[in-house]
Order: sequence, then C-alpha cells, then structure tokens
Amino acid sequence: MSDENKTCGNASNAEPTVTRSAAPMWIIVVTLGLLFTGGLYLDSHGGWFDAKVYAPYHSADQLEAFQPRSGAAAQAAQGKRVYEAVCGICHGMDGAGKPGQAPPLAGSEWVTTKGVNRLVHIPLQGLSGTLVVEGKEWNLNMAAMGVALPDSDLAAVLTYLRTSWGNKAGEVTADDVKKIRDALGGHPQPANSEQLKAMPE
Amino acid sequence: MKTGFSVFLAAFLAFGASWYGLVYGPLQQLGGAQQTVVLQSADNWPPQRTGEATLGLQVYRKYGCAACHTEQVRQTGAANELALTSLGVQKAADFKDFMKSVMIVPALLNASNTIIGNLDKWNGDLPVTLYSGDDSIVVSTLADKLKPVGVKTEALVVARGADIARGWGTRQSVAADYLYDEPVPLGNLRAGPDLTTIGVREPDPNWQWQHLYAPRSVVPDSTMPAFRFLFEVRKKIGGQSAPDALALKPEFAPAADLEVVPKAEARQLVAYLMSLKANAPLYEAPFTPVTAAKK
Repeated sequence: MSDENKTCGNASNAEPTVTRSAAPMWIIVVTLGLLFTGGLYLDSHGGWFDAKVYAPYHSADQLEAFQPRSGAAAQAAQGKRVYEAVCGICHGMDGAGKPGQAPPLAGSEWVTTKGVNRLVHIPLQGLSGTLVVEGKEWNLNMAAMGVALPDSDLAAVLTYLRTSWGNKAGEVTADDVKKIRDALGGHPQPANSEQLKAMPE
Repeated sequence: MKTGFSVFLAAFLAFGASWYGLVYGPLQQLGGAQQTVVLQSADNWPPQRTGEATLGLQVYRKYGCAACHTEQVRQTGAANELALTSLGVQKAADFKDFMKSVMIVPALLNASNTIIGNLDKWNGDLPVTLYSGDDSIVVSTLADKLKPVGVKTEALVVARGADIARGWGTRQSVAADYLYDEPVPLGNLRAGPDLTTIGVREPDPNWQWQHLYAPRSVVPDSTMPAFRFLFEVRKKIGGQSAPDALALKPEFAPAADLEVVPKAEARQLVAYLMSLKANAPLYEAPFTPVTAAKK
C-alpha cells in the first residue's frame, strides 16, 4: 500500500509532457477507406456541383436523358425564340415588316410558297436589289442572316414564318436546309429577285 | 504555449472549410442566378411579380403563414414514358403480335419483359402506357418503330414523388422558383397544405378571400385560424354589394344589409398567393406538360 501511494504522489507531481507517436495503422486504413467511398459517392451522386442538377437526378447526363423532346410544340417554340432574337428586330415581332427596314413576312408570297426551295435560299444567301412583296416594291439589302444558324434552328424559324400570323404553309425540315446549304457551298453571294424567280419554288 | 500555431491553424481550417462549403460555394453556384427559359416555350421563368404581390409576400411573412405552410415540392424520381394514344386502323390483337416481333431490336431487349408485361395487363382502353422507366433510348426507338405502322404514341417525361401524387405540383421546386422572393418563405411544417402551386389550384381571388375570412366556409375540415381582421364588415352602399365583396355562404355571412370586403393587406396577400404558380417545366426540373385534357 505504502509503495503505491508513493508512486501516485510522484506521478501527480510530475509535469505533463506532450509526446508524438505514430497513429495506429487501422485508423489510417479506415480513414482512407472512408475518403475513397465518399469520393465514389460524390462522383455518382454529386452531379459535380452543377447548379442545374438537383436530386433525384445524379448527373448532368442523366438530367439530359429526361428532357422532353416531343415534336411540333417544341419546334414552334424554338422557331419563335430564334425569330425574336434574329429576325424580329427588322421584320417586326408581328411579322408586319417595317418601312425602310424590312418587308412584311405575314402574308408575303415569298414566304408562303408551295415548296421551300426559294425561301431557304434567302437567309442562306442574303438579298440585294428590288423585290416586290405584296404589290409593293422594296429596294433594300438583307445580309445572309441564316448562315450562322444551325440547320435545326433555321428550319424551326422558317417553319415559324410559314405557320404564324395567318400564314398557312407546310413545314421546313432540317434536311431541306442542309441540302440547300451544302449545294450553295462556302461563300454564297446575295441573290436578287430575278435569280430567286429563276429557281424552282 | 508551444502548440498555439497548430491550434490556430486547425481552427482556421475548420471554420474556413465550413465558410467555403456553406457560404462561398453556394454563392459561386447560384449567386448569379437569372431568369431562365421555360422548356419548349419562349417564356421566361420566373415571371416578375406585380407590386401588390410583392407587398403580399411581406404580409405572408408578417402573419407567420410560413409557420404552417411550406413552399417546397419534393420529388423522388422521374420516368420516361411512352403512351399509346390511338391504334389507327390496327386491331389490338394484331398490335400485340407486332409488338412481340419488335422486341428483338437490341435497344429494346432489356425493356422487353416490362413492355410485354404492360401489354398483357392491357384491357384495351386508350391511352395505355407501353413503357415507363429510366431509358430515353427505349422510348425513342419504340416510337420510331411504331410510327410507320400507323398507331399514334406520345412520349412523356413524368416527375414522381409523394408531394406530386397529392397534386401539390407537377415537379420539384428548384432555386429558380425563388428568384424574386425576399425572404424565401420555404417553411418546414405542413400543418396546412403546400402552397407552391396554390395560384393554379385555386385561381379565384374571391375563394381565397373567403378562405381567409372563414376557412371552414370553403374547406369544412380546415384547421386554419380565421383572419377576420384583414376584412371590413360594412353597410352595403346603396343596397348594392361591392364587386369584390365576399360571396359567403349564408351561415358565415353577416346580416343581409352588410357585406364583407377585403382590406389592402388581404388584397396584397391574395395577389401574392395568386402568383404562386411553380408548374412550368424547366431544364433542371423537366417534365412534359399535359396540354390536352385526358379522356
């Protein structure tokens, strides 16, 4: 008993010291295992911190697979969006045209043709010189506004022209646009109304 | 203290990491949020609120509506579906045989048991869901195969979840929905229903006013307190009811020569409730809006 007391007394008098010792190997292994599992989970469920990816979606690819892509309504909406961004500033959001800037598209005989050949050429080539629209003569230049648009966007916007504001003509497909774009080649010159009239509708 | 610097460093890292994760990270992710585009339309989301509705959010806050109502719809899954809407000139039995012959297409092999199972359960009513699952390739392949046969199909993206099944919305809530909310009244207790789409579910302002004045007059089982102080009971002017006087049921209405009209705060609150219409399909919360009424 007396020996034990003596030891205790000595220990409490001693200054505590900080020493270093190696962490046990199992802690290191478990920590690495947890980090690895966490990394796997983050990779498959985190969506890489994409602001558009919410649970229950796990990744941008999975979200993309759930985007609805049903035909007519989507194309009409896309056409309207492109029209308001590219065409509407000169031709008017209502397609009525603006004096001194651009002729009307609503009811225009150049828009509601039977075929789509002439119409697709206009945005891909541009226009120069006089053009008679609905009995009125317009003498203006139009740049080749459609060259920079993808086939699907140009097809959507031309379909929008042909089906809006009382126009009732058939749709333009991306294939129509692609064929004419390929046939025109690299740097088409602006067309005039005689050249357009020489083309088949 | 020999370890002073280590303690400082550890504390700095701990607070720094939580600041980075809770403040800086979210700010980088969503701090520059702007209006987005509604899927398959030219509309922007969310629409800007009217001035009255903006004031209404403060009324909503003032009377503690968020204590019992949430404004967040949860979603647990989504599905790509292909529905058969019309058989055209085909007969149902022939169509089933044709479907079995289509199942050898490689893209459909994994889903073939599900699709055939759906067909076997089918009692002949239209529309019928042919496929419902994760894979958009199955839907597009099957739609392509069925197009030349003359039957009509419709590809749908459907959001799933308990809140959506209750009719509280068509998709989950996302950050874009709260762009113009200050503060964001998310709420965390559902003593009352979720209000994310209340402007779509109950689009009549007079119904909303009646509900605020006497909840039990329109929802018999309601546990909501009546907010009568938002209304004025006054004598009918010239014996005529005002255009926005509440169309109360007789047992809740005051005497015959009196009418109940909303005060300014009731108008603002209801204008705000009318503006809660988070049902537009967005890129981050996609679904196919059902435009035509289902038979």
